[in-house]
Amino acid sequence: MKTCLIVDDSRMIRRVAGRIVKDLGFETSEAINGQEALDKCQMELPDAVLVDWAMPVMDGFDFVKKLRELPGGQKPIVVFCTSVRDISRIVEALAAGADEYIMKPFDSDIIESKFTLAGLV
Amino acid sequence: MSANDRQGALSLAPTYYDALRRLTLELAGINLGSNHAFLVETRLAKLAREEGYDSLDAMVSELFQTGGSRLAVQVVSALTERDTHFFKDQTAFRRLREVVLPDLHHKRGGGRIRLLSFGCASGQEPYGMAMVIDQMQDALEGMKVDIVGVDYPSQALERARLGRYTHFDVQRGLPVRDLVEYFDTDKADWVVKDKIRKRVEFRDIHLLSKLDTLDDFHAVMFCGSLPHYSAPARVRVLRGLSGLVKENGYLILGEGESLSKMNFGFDRVSESSGLYKKREVVIEPEVDPDLKIPNGRTTFEKSEQPYKPLKLSQP
Repeated sequence: MKTCLIVDDSRMIRRVAGRIVKDLGFETSEAINGQEALDKCQMELPDAVLVDWAMPVMDGFDFVKKLRELPGGQKPIVVFCTSVRDISRIVEALAAGADEYIMKPFDSDIIESKFTLAGLV
Repeated sequence: MSANDRQGALSLAPTYYDALRRLTLELAGINLGSNHAFLVETRLAKLAREEGYDSLDAMVSELFQTGGSRLAVQVVSALTERDTHFFKDQTAFRRLREVVLPDLHHKRGGGRIRLLSFGCASGQEPYGMAMVIDQMQDALEGMKVDIVGVDYPSQALERARLGRYTHFDVQRGLPVRDLVEYFDTDKADWVVKDKIRKRVEFRDIHLLSKLDTLDDFHAVMFCGSLPHYSAPARVRVLRGLSGLVKENGYLILGEGESLSKMNFGFDRVSESSGLYKKREVVIEPEVDPDLKIPNGRTTFEKSEQPYKPLKLSQP
């Protein structure tokens, strides 16, 4: 079973997104900020990461840059899931190593579509 | 929920639901199916509000009492509008990208070609075609491509003309790199950039009418609608499309769709069930009896024997 790490400081978002991702056939785990997500990735790399941008301690942008520097860190598919809608910020996220980008609010169709585009489903 | 409860939740007299189903079949050739009350309630209630009626019942009553053709087309358009998204039929787009466009470019070597999105709804399909053309501009060097999207006059088609989409629309089927490349933001919406919008023209037509107001096309994309048409309407629409595709041009149907036993002058392209090529009409020249007939050698030199036409023996 594929694995997906869901990184968001909102418990509600982690719960909603987690349910949708589980329905897509993934085993999920959670982190509440970029640093905790990075620690989990150093233990074991997931197949996919769904990550918010703005979080305390370490934001999603820094997390993705550091993840890509880890041994094997190019492998996980990273999908941003954030309220940031500015085109220049989306371009920055892609340049930092994101594969896809979801703008909140989202629904199950959007997550499924983006996971499909990223080759995860 | 009992049948009575369900009926209690509906806002129209039961006979109107059947009348709307028959109207849609008659005007658009599309069968809504027997369980269409939810569709009627959701889509027509929205239309009634936008058109300034006090209620759905008021709009539908007026439709059937006055028989207004403009309102009838609006109602049928709302009922038949497809829920679509960018690159919805990925197989069809793959055929366009990998077979149709390279072949047209190879055979024509350049020049101007015309593509049609038939039943384009809110425009995602023709704009998707324009994005593919943009991404293939090096491979299609020297070829200009015009894209036309047609559908019934509707609010969806008006949205298509504006090229304006919600953040939900642009997140279904559209890779984020295409979003960044081909869209600008305008308040909460996303608007197709001019370089894509200029390639696409939208026209409202009755899809079952004579299509001779349209010129012919090198390829037509018609995805996702065919299974919803009644059998007579299917014949009618395919016959109309056949007249729109140039010889050696392509008809691209949706995944899993086919012409079945009908061919309408098309041949299936290899094993792709949804991709068809318009047959070339070969006109046999009349034989001039005074014309020298090839003698089997590599030249047309005069044969030693005078030419005698073959006479078929009578049975």
